[in-house]
Amino acid sequence: MGFKFDIAHQESYSRSALLIRSFFGFFYIMLPHAFLLLFIGLWGSILSFLSFWIILFTGSYPRNWFDYQVKALRWATRVNAITGNLVDGYPPFGLDAEFPAVEIEVPYPENLSRGKLLLKFFLGIFYVILPHGLVLLFRQIASMFYSFLAFWVVLFTGNFPANWHAFNVGTLRWGARVSIYMAYMSDEYPPFSGKE
Amino acid sequence: MSNEENEYISLPQPSELKQTEKEDAMGAYLMMFASIAIGLPLPIINIVAAVVYYFVNRKKGNFVKFHALQSMLSAILLGIVNAGLFYWTIHCFLNETFTDFYFGYLAFAGIANLAYFVFSIVAAVKARKGQFIYFIFFGKLAYHRVFSKKYIEKAKEEFRNLPPSNF
Repeated sequence: MGFKFDIAHQESYSRSALLIRSFFGFFYIMLPHAFLLLFIGLWGSILSFLSFWIILFTGSYPRNWFDYQVKALRWATRVNAITGNLVDGYPPFGLDAEFPAVEIEVPYPENLSRGKLLLKFFLGIFYVILPHGLVLLFRQIASMFYSFLAFWVVLFTGNFPANWHAFNVGTLRWGARVSIYMAYMSDEYPPFSGKE
Repeated sequence: MSNEENEYISLPQPSELKQTEKEDAMGAYLMMFASIAIGLPLPIINIVAAVVYYFVNRKKGNFVKFHALQSMLSAILLGIVNAGLFYWTIHCFLNETFTDFYFGYLAFAGIANLAYFVFSIVAAVKARKGQFIYFIFFGKLAYHRVFSKKYIEKAKEEFRNLPPSNF
């Protein structure tokens, strides 16, 4: 099983859901989810910090902690996908919640390189964060532009242009790959691409 | 069969445990670094992390539950010792009086923290190998709470609704 990150493109999108989400989504989607995700993220950061030391001494990421991080990523992506109008519906609460429109699979690495771990920790900012961050910054701006345009297209036609959808999903995918690499969950350097 | 064997269930052996159980048990002792992980050097963070870890993992088997409980109990005691030191230090600074009693407590807290650190690292390593280690006092307490047949049967008992008393 390889890395999988996909957000389903719907045949048609609900105009009323789009309007309600755009005007009130902050209150009924963002606030409740962000409140819970704050604690989920806090716990995730504790586990990530401890995982660094565990990998350093044992060469492997604790399996259940890895699964927790993947579930947290799924939850955050569900919220991002819906608030970004990439998919209709309401993001379910919970780490084990099912939401078929958003699929994320991260292969568990049985062994992780200690050398790469130290490299990420000490030099990650230079060879991962800076180059990827710079490109992703411009890509994020383009994604925001597409999202703005897509809002009007969905409002008038009920369809989200497939290429724009793929581009925005690609931006999220790219960001997720970088996060996974920097969170010591993979040794594979993230590609400079949002493609699968 | 001794009395003790009648009262307690048998301990899981290293070969019987899954790797995830060993890792989860090890993680319990690493909660002492939680405050460092989130960058807030407050004793309460470690206690909260240890308590959360216990309640999240206690149903993952007796081996994990034992280590998480032992870690949590020792973290609570050390947290109280550190909180006492924290407030006493502030009090001393405000009044500009440092008594010998304070320095004695400071040394005690320092030794307690060092001992906790060493024991926790040793316990984490042993837990990852699927082994048991018993801390002073807390080891027996956690063993009794997790492996005592009395507690296990009590946990299995179904709650019975009863009519109001004196009815």
